Amino acid sequence: MGLRSYIVARVLLTIPMIMLLLSIVFLVVRVLPGDPVLLHFEKRATPEAMDAMRQKLGLDKPLPLQYFEYLAGLLRGDLGKSMQDFSSVGQQIFSAFPATLELTIYSMAVAVTLGILLGVRASRSYNSPLDHSIRAFGIIMYAIPIFFLGMIFQIIFGIGLRWFPTGLRMHPAMEPPYGLNLGSLHISTGLYTVDSLLEGNIFKFLQALRYLFLPSLTLGLVLCGVFIRLTRSNMLETLGLDFVTAARARGLKERAVVYGYAFRNAFLPVLTMMGLQFAVLLGGAILTETTFSWPGLGRYIVDRINFRDYTAIQGAVVFFGLLVALVSLVVDILYAYLDPRIRL
Amino acid sequence: METRRTILASLLPALASLTKRGLAGWITVIGSGMVISIVLMTLLAPWISPYDPSAINVGPRFSPPNGQFPLGTNHLGQDMLSRVFSGGSIMLQVAALSAAVCLVIGVPIGLLASYAGGKLDKVCSLVMDSIYAFPALVLAIAIAAILGTGVVNMALAIAVVYVPSYFRIVRSQVLTIKELLYTEAARAAGAKGRTILLRYILPNVVPSIVVVATVNFADAILTAAGLTFVGLGVAKDIPDWGWDLTDGRALLPSGAWWVITFPGLMIVLLALGFTLIGEGLSELLNPRLEQ
Amino acid sequence: MKLFGKLRRNRKAVTTVESVIIVVLIIAIILSAGTLYYVSTVTRQLAELSTGISKLSDSVSKLSGDLATVSTTVEDIREILGRPPTTPPTPTPPPTPKYKETLIIGTTDSVEKTIDPAQAYDWFGWHILQQIALTLVEVEPGSEAGPEDYFPALATDWSVSADLKTWTFNLRKGVKFEDGREVTAEDVKYSIDRAIALIPEIPEGAPAGLGYDLVIDSVEVSDTYQVKFHLKIPFAAFLGFMGCRSSAIVNRDYAPIKEIEYTEGDVRASTPVGFLGPYKLTMWVRIAGRDTEMRLEANPNYWNAAVYPKTKNIVYKFYADPTALRLAIEAGDIDIAFRHLRSADVIDLTKNPNLKVWWGVGAAIQYMIFQEKIEPFGDARVRRALAAALDRPTLTSTVFLGLTEPLYSIIPKGMLGHTEAFKELGDANYELTRNLLAELGYNEDNKLQVELWYESSGHYPMSAEQAVVYKDSFEKSGVITVTIKSADWASYKLNRDNEIMPVYVYGWYPDYVDPDNYAFLYWAAWLHHNYENPDIVVLYDQARAITDPTERARLYAEIDKIAVRDSPVVPLWQGVAYAVTKPDVEGLVLDITQDMRYWLVYAEIPA
Repeated sequence: MGLRSYIVARVLLTIPMIMLLLSIVFLVVRVLPGDPVLLHFEKRATPEAMDAMRQKLGLDKPLPLQYFEYLAGLLRGDLGKSMQDFSSVGQQIFSAFPATLELTIYSMAVAVTLGILLGVRASRSYNSPLDHSIRAFGIIMYAIPIFFLGMIFQIIFGIGLRWFPTGLRMHPAMEPPYGLNLGSLHISTGLYTVDSLLEGNIFKFLQALRYLFLPSLTLGLVLCGVFIRLTRSNMLETLGLDFVTAARARGLKERAVVYGYAFRNAFLPVLTMMGLQFAVLLGGAILTETTFSWPGLGRYIVDRINFRDYTAIQGAVVFFGLLVALVSLVVDILYAYLDPRIRL
Repeated sequence: METRRTILASLLPALASLTKRGLAGWITVIGSGMVISIVLMTLLAPWISPYDPSAINVGPRFSPPNGQFPLGTNHLGQDMLSRVFSGGSIMLQVAALSAAVCLVIGVPIGLLASYAGGKLDKVCSLVMDSIYAFPALVLAIAIAAILGTGVVNMALAIAVVYVPSYFRIVRSQVLTIKELLYTEAARAAGAKGRTILLRYILPNVVPSIVVVATVNFADAILTAAGLTFVGLGVAKDIPDWGWDLTDGRALLPSGAWWVITFPGLMIVLLALGFTLIGEGLSELLNPRLEQ
Repeated sequence: MKLFGKLRRNRKAVTTVESVIIVVLIIAIILSAGTLYYVSTVTRQLAELSTGISKLSDSVSKLSGDLATVSTTVEDIREILGRPPTTPPTPTPPPTPKYKETLIIGTTDSVEKTIDPAQAYDWFGWHILQQIALTLVEVEPGSEAGPEDYFPALATDWSVSADLKTWTFNLRKGVKFEDGREVTAEDVKYSIDRAIALIPEIPEGAPAGLGYDLVIDSVEVSDTYQVKFHLKIPFAAFLGFMGCRSSAIVNRDYAPIKEIEYTEGDVRASTPVGFLGPYKLTMWVRIAGRDTEMRLEANPNYWNAAVYPKTKNIVYKFYADPTALRLAIEAGDIDIAFRHLRSADVIDLTKNPNLKVWWGVGAAIQYMIFQEKIEPFGDARVRRALAAALDRPTLTSTVFLGLTEPLYSIIPKGMLGHTEAFKELGDANYELTRNLLAELGYNEDNKLQVELWYESSGHYPMSAEQAVVYKDSFEKSGVITVTIKSADWASYKLNRDNEIMPVYVYGWYPDYVDPDNYAFLYWAAWLHHNYENPDIVVLYDQARAITDPTERARLYAEIDKIAVRDSPVVPLWQGVAYAVTKPDVEGLVLDITQDMRYWLVYAEIPA
């Protein structure tokens, strides 16, 4: 099976997967106890008012009709209107996503960097106390609840030492970065670090980094254990292989052997793991986002579940599913491209 | 009968040689020790707790660790030592129940689907991948919101999230073993599919399942804490480390560090214990190449 | 030692990786050192916490004492309404002191949906409307919001007919919208007509909830600067109505008969109020349904712009939860923290020399409801027995550390009509509980089974802790066993409507400050507790149709007496308002309206 057909097969497989996910979620949220109509009435609600609200939310229509209308909208690219404030769900997700994306990217960077560096170091001194302490470090970090760790950092670095802020994405007195304005063309990614560079404002860039530091450190530390373990085991395997022994025999320096030959081969699984961990990161972002008042998708979903905002929950689920599917697709294709043994 | 004997036959030698197997063996033993002592502590809690863990105002509120209250009291005047003793019960129940559900659902489906192959395999894989793709905590929150609070519901919510992991592990193992020579031989000898599955494949899959189960336990504990954090845990009057963690977090800026620290430590130790068992076992069962 | 040997042999291979590990170790050391340091300093401070709490309860009880002694003698209201109220003395422009240009507010609130007066019904939506919009009248800051405390805003004076059904307002001249057009009686008529017209389309909005269509019959433009309201019923509290944010004036050029929603990037299109208030809204960023940034700027078109606002710019920053807010004010990231902070955090912050804590009157209340359809709660004796078993002082001190007050009437302290009626049943009055329950056959061997529900998603503060304390109080009687159950807000409301919760706790904060907005809670149909009593409703209707405060107080006291006898709904506690600011912030007023008027607030720049 050639690479092209592999890609096509994978893409085609994604579609029913998303459909299934969507249908499951559609049913699940409507089974959720609690009537979204009631949530709009803070105080009193007459039966007439409630009926009017039900109509306004489109919940008076029969279930299959709601389902098909939603699907139709989806095909048009319309994720529907939020049941809480009737603004476009697509727009809400689109506005919340960059925050989570930025957090995810930096946390992944922290996790992978720490993981690889520590994993390589551990593999090079196999069975030494350093090896064991590094492995222990990774395992212990994963066992710490995220909000606990985040809290500790907030107290020490935010209040005690005042090096880093305790929440939000940007300094309260500064306006968020607005990206690049080329005449009528407006480029803005929503990632504060990128936008501030586009704007050319180094001060904002540094502030954005400062605000990113604690949340990404928290999430990254918790997840680095996975990468430490993976890198270490892969390095150990690779370092024992023939071509490495051959390289050593040829008299290459240790460092060249490690990074030149062994590492490159061990990196592939790390790539796959990054794809897999992406979903975990998105989930872990919920607790981090709450701890650090980070206005992202994780918080959005929890808010919406509490509000029984069916359309928003469906939209977010579809979005997450597509995102994770996309990432794993890219990773799988990359992997297949780099390692011909994998294609089925 | 045959199955049980086969499983025992493969497990007992493993257990016996644990401590002789070097570092990995020791890690498993240490992990098991941590878990067993915490379970014992929880079981013995009613007898060793100085106060009723749910009784409020047994002492001055917010008192730091002292003679009368070795681990201090929280904002409602509850004794933290008693709460630490009994607080693990909910988490352990949730973890055990979710593991049981996963095993009962995930393993058989995994075995059947991957052995049978074809359409069944494709459909099951599709469903499982869909669930697996979804961020775990979000799905757990959504399901717990449907079902409501309580141990069983929390366990079910977590189980749904982890079934795909079991399925995948079982499936990958089965696919490998299916192609091995002795399975071919057995089929050639005329053994029925079911026999092959139970006698040859299952025993070889069990070690991997055990490893996944331990990771599942550790994750279940942390997810249970997360569910309680967003308010989907058990009722407030049941002592639970998850509640102490949530309350303690709000009290930490006030300086009442003991409310979150000790239950937090226990959660970390429990999750760590299970992880160590998993680490040790996985190394024992899939030994690394020695350098 | 092997390590060092290797180091010496392969110098080059050492640098990058090793240094990273050293950095990681250093971070770990700093972490542990920092924790130890922080723990040691803080534990010392905590030893003083209990003395702090008792000092605090002393000041809070002193505060309530002061409120109770507020004069109950009030002039005849009809007379006051008949003659134009004293205009506030024209303020002599004070010597321009240097005020800080910008103040940063931290909060955990968020506009629920819109800032359209025809829809907004949440505290924060109303709060923003108060800063940027104008109503006919306003409540004098710091007053008790009694009938004589209403001050001219858009209206300069007003009068009412003898039957309390026709209200006439004279308007201020020369007040301009943002686009330069002058405000006239036509605009007032349009605004109120619009609110009423949109009721069918916005059933969840404030005009619908307050019953604008039930109270107002028509609005008449009797002159360019005079408007007359013809009411359907005699309504003494109509000034309160006109002071509500749902009565804010809209600019009809930007306010079609359609709900105005948040429009990203366009503040102008996000609200119809034309900025007549002390501030105008210059930035509103909402991400994923929650506010992330709002900015207010001084409005040059405000009729009193010479004096207010004192601070030119207000910036709102939104935090995810009370702990995050506390950390922010402690770290100095914000100037003012208001709504919401936990009791323990507030008490801590009173000890912080770098911060100032402000106290004020609370009007938020919580009450316990019994579902009369579920036996045996249909029997008033059971309800009274449970009411007697409640221990409010323990609750307020344990859960809220004294930051709430026991409440013995559904009308809170500081408001006309407040009594201490439920004191008749007492607190922790277990003898009464046992006697009443014995009449129905409940005793130590046959305990009354109670299922107590609380809301678990944070809609009410400390609801879980409260439930634990209520359970403890009930069980101390020896004849009751309690099972605690919880549901998140959505399910809680549904359960309420489906009438499946035997005992549940609810909260209330005022739409407008008048006992009329509280007393009905005893029998409110939407609480679904199936309590009916025509006599009590008669008293209520009488009270809202007269203006004599003594007579009204008497009627509300009658209502309370009946409530104690039947105990359909039992008042639990009343909140205290508080805010935490930097020490240089001045001018905060936390009065019974629960409003926060930022145009009064300022921070002086030291000379």
